[in-house]
Amino acid sequence: MWLKDSEGKKAFRHGHVAFNQASQAAQVCGSFRPDVEEEWVADEERSCYNCRLRRWTAESFDCLLPA
Amino acid sequence: MNVLICIDDTDNLESRGTGELATIMAKEIERRSWGRCDFVTRHQLLIHPDVPYTSHNSSMCFAADLDLANLDAVIAYASDFLRDESAVGSDPGLCVSVIDQLADPEAIIAYGRLAKREVLNKKMAYDLAAQLDMHLSEHGGTGQGVVGALAGIGLRLSGNDGRMKGWLRIETKNGLASVGDIMAQAPLGGVRTMAGELLAATEMVEVDNKPKAVLLDGQIYLMVSPIDNGGAVHWRTTPRSQLKKF
Repeated sequence: MWLKDSEGKKAFRHGHVAFNQASQAAQVCGSFRPDVEEEWVADEERSCYNCRLRRWTAESFDCLLPA
Repeated sequence: MNVLICIDDTDNLESRGTGELATIMAKEIERRSWGRCDFVTRHQLLIHPDVPYTSHNSSMCFAADLDLANLDAVIAYASDFLRDESAVGSDPGLCVSVIDQLADPEAIIAYGRLAKREVLNKKMAYDLAAQLDMHLSEHGGTGQGVVGALAGIGLRLSGNDGRMKGWLRIETKNGLASVGDIMAQAPLGGVRTMAGELLAATEMVEVDNKPKAVLLDGQIYLMVSPIDNGGAVHWRTTPRSQLKKF
C-alpha cells in the first residue's frame, strides 16, 4: 500500500483514483482525521483521500503521520 | 457592482479550512449590510514540488454585490480578518476585483488557468493585479497565498471551474426527486449529465444525501450520471469521486 523512503516518509503507491485501497488504508489507520468537507474527493468519509493528514502530490499523496 | 473576493493559504493541519473563513467573511459582509454575497467555490491549483502548500492547493472564492461606497470597508475588513484568523504558519493572500470595471477579463482568466498548469510566483501575481487594477494583498507568513487568491478570481470568473463549498439540501421522497423539484429547492442553472445535456423538469433523479454542485458556463449545476439497472429512474447524482475534475 505504501512506499517508504529512507526518512520514513510514506507515499501512497496507488495514485489518485484508487478509491478502494484508500478506503481500506483508512479503515486500519488509528489516526484518520477527516479533512474539511470541501477537500473530500472520496465518496466514503473514511478514506485516506479525505484525511487531513494526506498531502497531495503530482502522482499520489504522502501520509503526514510521523513515521 | 459585482465583486469577486478570493482567499488562499490561510490554514494549517490543525486549523479551520480556508472555505470556512470565506463563508464567515461572506456572512459578515451581509451582516454589516455592505452587500449580498453568493456561494463559495473551491478552485484546484497546481500540485507541484515547487509550489508551497499544506496538504492541498486550492483557493476559495465568492461573489458579492456591493455598493461602490462599501468597497474600501470590505477590503479593510477582509484584510484584518485574514491577519487575525489565518492559522499559524500560513501565508494568506486576498484578492478583490470589481468585475464590472475589469478592463481585460481574459487576462485574469488566462492567469487562473495557467495557475493550474504552471508554477507562478508573487511578482507575476502583483504585476498582473496592478495592471488590471485589482486589489491583491498578503496578510502573514510569506504571503505566497496572493498567487492562488488571484488565480481563484480568474477561475471563478471563467465560469467553468470549481465545486461549490458544502452540498445542496434537496428534499426527496424515498431518495427520489424530479428535476423540477430539485430546481425549485436550489438556485441551479440546471441538472446536467456528465456528457453536458440538461435534463427535463419531469425527469426523476436518485439524490445522494450530500449532493455537490459544480460551476459550469457561469452557473451552478447539479451533475448526474446514468443508472443502468432497468428501473424507471435513469439518473443519480454524480458521486463526489467523479467530480474531482471540476
